[in-house]
Amino acid sequence: MRGNIRRVIPLMCVLFLLLGAWGAGNLAVNGRRWFSFSSNAYARQMKKEVTEGAVLDTRGVVLASTFGEERVYHSDERVRRATVHVLGDRDGNVANGVESFMSYYLYGFDQPFGEEVRSVLYGTGRRGSDVCLTVDSALSANILGWFPADKKGAVIVMNYRTGAVLAECSFPNFDPADVTVSVKTDPGQPFFNRAVQGMYAPGSTFKIITLTAMLENFPDALDRRYLCDGQLTVGGHLITDAGTDLERQVVTRHGDLGLERAFRVSCNNTFARAALELSDRRLRAEAEKFGYNYNFLFRDMVVENSSYPSDNRTDREVAMTGIGQSALLCTPMQVLLSACAAANDGAVMEPRLLQSVVAPDGKETVSFTSAVFRRVMDEATARTVREQMYQAVVSGTGTRAAVPGHRICGKTGSAEIDGRENTNAWFVGFIDEENAPYAVVVLVEDAGGGGSVAAPVAGQIFRYLLGE
Amino acid sequence: MKRRSKGKGKRRTRTMGLTGLTMVFAFLCFLLLFVKTGDLTAAAMAVGLSAAVWLITAVIGGVFPSDRLLLSLTLFLCCVGIVILYRFDSGRGLTQTLNFLLGVGCMAVCILFVKYARKWSFFAPVIMAGSLGLLLLPVLFGHETNGAKNWISLAGVTFQPSEAVKLALLCVLAYFLSRRKLILSGIYAGSCLIILMLQKDLGTALIYYGVTLIMMYVSTGSVTLVGIGLAGGAGGAVFGYHEFAHVRRRVAIWLNPWADPAGDGYQIVQGLIAMANGGAWGTGLGLGNASTIPYYYNDFAFSIILNEFGGIFGLLVLGLYLAVVLRGLMIAHRAETVFDTLLAVGCSAQIGLQTFVIVGGNIKLIPLTGVTLPLISYGGTSLLSSLCVIGLLQGVAARVEAGVRRDRTLAGLDGEGGAGT
Repeated sequence: MRGNIRRVIPLMCVLFLLLGAWGAGNLAVNGRRWFSFSSNAYARQMKKEVTEGAVLDTRGVVLASTFGEERVYHSDERVRRATVHVLGDRDGNVANGVESFMSYYLYGFDQPFGEEVRSVLYGTGRRGSDVCLTVDSALSANILGWFPADKKGAVIVMNYRTGAVLAECSFPNFDPADVTVSVKTDPGQPFFNRAVQGMYAPGSTFKIITLTAMLENFPDALDRRYLCDGQLTVGGHLITDAGTDLERQVVTRHGDLGLERAFRVSCNNTFARAALELSDRRLRAEAEKFGYNYNFLFRDMVVENSSYPSDNRTDREVAMTGIGQSALLCTPMQVLLSACAAANDGAVMEPRLLQSVVAPDGKETVSFTSAVFRRVMDEATARTVREQMYQAVVSGTGTRAAVPGHRICGKTGSAEIDGRENTNAWFVGFIDEENAPYAVVVLVEDAGGGGSVAAPVAGQIFRYLLGE
Repeated sequence: MKRRSKGKGKRRTRTMGLTGLTMVFAFLCFLLLFVKTGDLTAAAMAVGLSAAVWLITAVIGGVFPSDRLLLSLTLFLCCVGIVILYRFDSGRGLTQTLNFLLGVGCMAVCILFVKYARKWSFFAPVIMAGSLGLLLLPVLFGHETNGAKNWISLAGVTFQPSEAVKLALLCVLAYFLSRRKLILSGIYAGSCLIILMLQKDLGTALIYYGVTLIMMYVSTGSVTLVGIGLAGGAGGAVFGYHEFAHVRRRVAIWLNPWADPAGDGYQIVQGLIAMANGGAWGTGLGLGNASTIPYYYNDFAFSIILNEFGGIFGLLVLGLYLAVVLRGLMIAHRAETVFDTLLAVGCSAQIGLQTFVIVGGNIKLIPLTGVTLPLISYGGTSLLSSLCVIGLLQGVAARVEAGVRRDRTLAGLDGEGGAGT
């Protein structure tokens, strides 16, 4: 019996070690996220006692700083408006902007314990650390000019090799230096950060995922032939292609084609059938690899979870999912990440905003590190998808994003929304060049076709990034 | 003679150190609260509580030949509880102090009971019948609080029978298992578990289950039996998950409390935020604001300690609980009779598992269940029963001590030079 007691001792030790290790680990990994959560009354209380640090962009331009009691933003209104959703505001009108989500640094919680003691001893007020972002404020301000006037939507620019976010704009925006009552009651919801919070049907941009699923599940995927007669009926529902107008008896037909041409011209007929060949199970598995139905816990930002509908999938719903309609919902960030997978040889990088944190004494306490979020496809598949996206820009739906002399890849999307006359225009793409590894997503709500509305905006951004 | 007294003196100094530390801790904490708020009661508590700690150590440690280390650890944990509760709500702190003093009295009674009770063949069946009746009371007359129907009111005083039955379970199982009445023990523990499940008191059920399993293993050493028990438990868990909506809800909240941070997940989310605010060093006593957590004073006692005293102190508290458990197992190891051994193992397992279940719930290691943190959480029944469990352990320790003394006398060592041992 004594021997049995000796075996209970390690059991108890293991239980308590588990408690200690889990507790300490969880606090170390997630503590900052918990602290930054908007309903933390303690963090709000800290604002009265600590002088908030400044927020700078990637070139060192000061976007926000504190003078006395006042929070002062950049002098140029265009820069203020272009960066307001990344920055957020002090009052928390914009959910999870840098001003609240990185309050851990801005209020100096990263500083050593001794710093706190010293500030009390010397009677100098405490000062938080400065946060430098990966954001390029000049690019962001330019995007403001390129985006269609008076339209809603979002634009994100990211380095697909490192995950550094260069711009994250949401429209409509507002001026943080002048938050009036009319901003708060605006039905366009300017506080809402559409880039990471807005939930949309991905439309044809989802074909990147359907194509990847086909390539991964069927070795002969590219050799399969389909016949597009312009009208496909699945479960009593008619699926047509862009340009079809049944009332005027105009039907877009692509004829006999394979997946490559179908992707280039964005043929709904073919991709709906591809989805049925894949079945719901395989298509869902692929979408989940790309991040659907996953609870994103990125270090620098809160991205709304994208959802792939879960139950009772009829053939009709599966077919519609293959072309990014049905009940699929995702953020522009999610669409961008799916293109980044193809761009970065299959590895999706974690999107990051934090370049460095600099303590008041000038010491850099945190510096940029990139991390792979997911490896979603192998290099060969990524190369194939990349090639199809290149063709789509060279001779398909995305020609207006092209920059002559450069390898631009992309995919357009025109997502139908119930009760709206115009489609949501999407373009997602990237520069396939080693010295300019940038990916872009553009979403313009209620505006028309992706190729005609969103692609030109992306084209402007690509030209800027390539220095042309 | 010389050698023995020297050894004893050394041990006393060592535990006196811990007692002194407890006194200093209680004194400084209340002094700080007094300075901060100017509340004279806090000043009185600073003196009163440290004096009480000294007095209890002197009386219990002096009158009963019990285990001083265990006593010191217990007193320290109780003081942490009183300090943190007083800081948020002086009324609760004072009630907790009264319950603590009452609990120490109950502890003394338990020590005497275990030390001198001989008629277990009479006690055990009586306790068994009484405890089952008591446990059934809330099912029949109880009222539901926070999704569990485990409280009853008697003449204006509400209490939780499952806390009292905890003690009964330990004594009854130790007795029957020491008599090799395995099936009877199984039936008794099983009925307790089923009644607890009916009351939706899942946390307590988990603790009873674990304690029963550990006691059965120690008494029989049978891996098969443990296997059957584990399989049964797993089956019960799966059944519970499929049958009861409240179980599924608990699990869903555990998996992602952030899905509804203002509703279902509010308590856990606020608990996590409180711990994050504390960081490694804590916000400082009186400077946090963890009272935003619903039921912070019992379910989330560990979180509020981390909030104000910090994560490093939290690890220390966990270490102290582990020390209590290991000390209990050492007492079990030295016990002379099978009954004593099993009783001490049961008590240690009880404290260890209860700590695991509630702290694990706080730090999101396992789903949260509404059990209390032994010795620290607010609540009369809970504190009393925890102190009684310590009392039972102390009783066994007292018997061990008495046995050692008897052996020494018989061997004639006591009066001589003290060779050997």
